[in-house]
Amino acid sequence: MNNQLREWHPYVGPFDPCPPMRVKTYIVPPNLFAPFQPANLQQYSLPEALRLGTLWPAYYSPYESRMLEGRS
Amino acid sequence: MDGNTTVDQEYYRMMEELQQLDFALVELTLYLDTHPDDMQALQQFNQLSQQRQQAAYRFECRYGPLMQFGHSYSRYPWQWMDTPWPWQV
Repeated sequence: MNNQLREWHPYVGPFDPCPPMRVKTYIVPPNLFAPFQPANLQQYSLPEALRLGTLWPAYYSPYESRMLEGRS
Repeated sequence: MDGNTTVDQEYYRMMEELQQLDFALVELTLYLDTHPDDMQALQQFNQLSQQRQQAAYRFECRYGPLMQFGHSYSRYPWQWMDTPWPWQV
């Protein structure tokens, strides 16, 4: 799916009171992999940059909400 | 801008243009903090800030001051307390 999405599987004990969440996900944004930004990166146009929240496509992280999905 | 005059499309267009310029300037400022010797980004920053000043000047000539305490001019009579305020548009 989204290549920035990672998932992990929490431990589910036999006495958990609530239905367990077997898969939990988290986002790994690009700035984790390239913390020091290289120069002269390709840029978005200004309107796009304002809408997407970053001037550089290399560091764009969609971070969609997963609230609407059913419990996994 | 008196009473409850609704603002025209031009107001929104100019405001959005300002927002775009401001966001790019924030991004470039943060970038230049860590890359002070990046000439190309610095030139872009200076160009954008000039554009931003011009855009703000055009906006203020038409719709009144954007900032207070001497950062913007005002026509007669005093425009600062006129509606609409930014959160009302």
